[in-house]
Amino acid sequence: MSSGTETRGTLAFAPDAASLDAALASLAEHGDAHDAALRREALARFEELPAPGARPSRGWKYDYAKLPYEDLAWTFGRVELPAIPPGPAVPPRARADETGDVDRPALATENAGGLYHLGATFVDAPGNVDPRVTLLPLDATTARDFAAQIEPALHHVVDWRADMFAALATAFRNCGAFVYVPAGVQVDLPLQLIFANGEARDEAVFPHVVVVLGKGARATVIERHVGDGDPFVCGIAEAHLAEGAELDYVAVQQAGEAARVMFSRGARCERDAQVRWHLAELGGALARTVLSARLEAPGARAEASALFFNTGTQHVDLTSGADHIVGPTFSDTVVRSAATGRGQGRYVGNIVIRPKAHGSDASLRDDALLLSKRAHIDSIPALEIAANDVKAFHGATVGSLDEDALFYAGSRGIARAEALRLITLGFFEPVIARFPGESLRDEIRTALDRKIDDATELGA
Amino acid sequence: MRDLRVAVESKEILKGIDLTVEPGRVHALMGPNGSGKSTLAFALAGHPGYQVLGGSATLDGADLLELAPDKRAKAGLFLSFQYPAAIPGVSVANFIRTARQSVRPEDLNPAKFRKLVFDKLDTLDMDPAFLGRYVNDGFSGGEKKRLEMLQMAILAPKYAVLDETDSGLDVDALQSVGRSVNALRESDEGKDIGFLVITHYPRILKHIPADVVHVMIDGRIVKSGGPELADEIERDGYDGVRASTSSAQAEVAAARV
Repeated sequence: MSSGTETRGTLAFAPDAASLDAALASLAEHGDAHDAALRREALARFEELPAPGARPSRGWKYDYAKLPYEDLAWTFGRVELPAIPPGPAVPPRARADETGDVDRPALATENAGGLYHLGATFVDAPGNVDPRVTLLPLDATTARDFAAQIEPALHHVVDWRADMFAALATAFRNCGAFVYVPAGVQVDLPLQLIFANGEARDEAVFPHVVVVLGKGARATVIERHVGDGDPFVCGIAEAHLAEGAELDYVAVQQAGEAARVMFSRGARCERDAQVRWHLAELGGALARTVLSARLEAPGARAEASALFFNTGTQHVDLTSGADHIVGPTFSDTVVRSAATGRGQGRYVGNIVIRPKAHGSDASLRDDALLLSKRAHIDSIPALEIAANDVKAFHGATVGSLDEDALFYAGSRGIARAEALRLITLGFFEPVIARFPGESLRDEIRTALDRKIDDATELGA
Repeated sequence: MRDLRVAVESKEILKGIDLTVEPGRVHALMGPNGSGKSTLAFALAGHPGYQVLGGSATLDGADLLELAPDKRAKAGLFLSFQYPAAIPGVSVANFIRTARQSVRPEDLNPAKFRKLVFDKLDTLDMDPAFLGRYVNDGFSGGEKKRLEMLQMAILAPKYAVLDETDSGLDVDALQSVGRSVNALRESDEGKDIGFLVITHYPRILKHIPADVVHVMIDGRIVKSGGPELADEIERDGYDGVRASTSSAQAEVAAARV
């Protein structure tokens, strides 16, 4: 972009030491090297850890040992653009032509500010950030300036030592965001983190999002993956919630149709803090998501509302977890998934209630809908309860379309395709209804509707 | 319907039904449990589980049996279900709007549609909060039947089949259903609707007076008559009808011999 400055490193990516050395050298050249030792340690861990899905590990359907990394570019950089006008506007799309010009994104819903990345390049165009909030790219400067605030969360929530892709993300981080909402500050409008990809080149994008909420703070963060490119995204989002804080964290994945998006998201909740995950996996060819919550003090609460809808040959692996470390703590998980065509999915729901978590209450509900003969979804709820005097519920169903409901709609003049659309959208509604804000809910409904259209056109 | 024969899971249930419902008239189809009344309703509406073995069913000249269920509705047929299906996650408002647009495309703007819905809710003495609930999801028996009546009023079909609409209803709910049917029949949109009221008990006919009463036993209409036939069933039960028709049939058979 002609009006801004740009610093950018570019190199061919491979998940190995040579690639990491080159990346670190490139970062150092631009004064952005930090955590070099940790990154090397993380890469070593990545190489040690077994790939999920490879036998005999359970829980992941895709065999991640076969995941190819060819033809990916690892980049980082910064482009300065004129301020983005405050939203709301059309859903964000991103394009980059050969000259690197960026068609600036709109921040889809009304918002209290946003951060935008095109590939791993931070596009510096904050328009309307709520002045009470810190919203910055997570680079060396931010890490230094906000060391005290970042420390409780960065590398301390998502356990990269236990997860191959969290380790890879830690090693190769090339972009990210830091959201800090000080004690007592309540932000009503959402903060948006947009990760977009143009069509220019397949990029390896390793975002790291850190959200820190002070005592009694409240915020909504929307993480979006959009664009027509086909990146390999491997990221981490970590949140630390001080006493009484409340976080709605929304992730809407609408990446390009060949994109692969791996994301581990975790939260630590102190006394009476509440995290609410809202996840919609809609795009990409392969998505792997971990949502987790550590409930560390009495009164802490985690909710998870997640949906995915796999069409064509899409594959989604989703794991959610709530770790009740002390009691009483609370978790409530609702997952709805559907697949058509040759869509594949797996959901694993882990609830752990530890010995000291007396009086805790955990509920886990997941339902899957199969819309074609070749679609497949596995559903694996797992409860591990080591405390007495707890309430724990789990229920799971896998089913196909209700023919009685289809006939009923037909008897009202509603053609089969339209009835199928209504019933399928209705199936997701219990999860959509838990997303914050009507404009966001409508956006999800519209996106699902479009997927149903596409699936119908493909004759799935 | 002419000589309509229908099977369920290869078992013949309807063994040749001849029945004509005229616009603006109410026909009652009565019979004991298992006589095939609901099979007739489902076969007319086009349920895929019901195989038509022979005969015909036409609606104002259109061959119903050739049409998919939604096309039958578009042709003007409405079935009020005995057990309406739930559609979780789909609001009543969304559902009836979609249905109305399907049956009568481009016929009402949103404001007029809204007025129509609220008028009908008012007639049916239904709480507008109904519109925000999911279709039949967690509804009581009475609420389901009221929703069927609401949809019938909004779709204003040419012919309506009410399948055991009285079953499971208390007196108040039954009166409400009766009022809604009669209000529809008195309206401009509804005055020409032909009704086929399928019932086990004569009591619904106190609320929706029938012009013609048919008695179905074992997949056949064995007797047709005026409203007095319902009184006869109330007095003598289906066994009485069965006895009189079998003796009558025996006489017919004897005469043929």
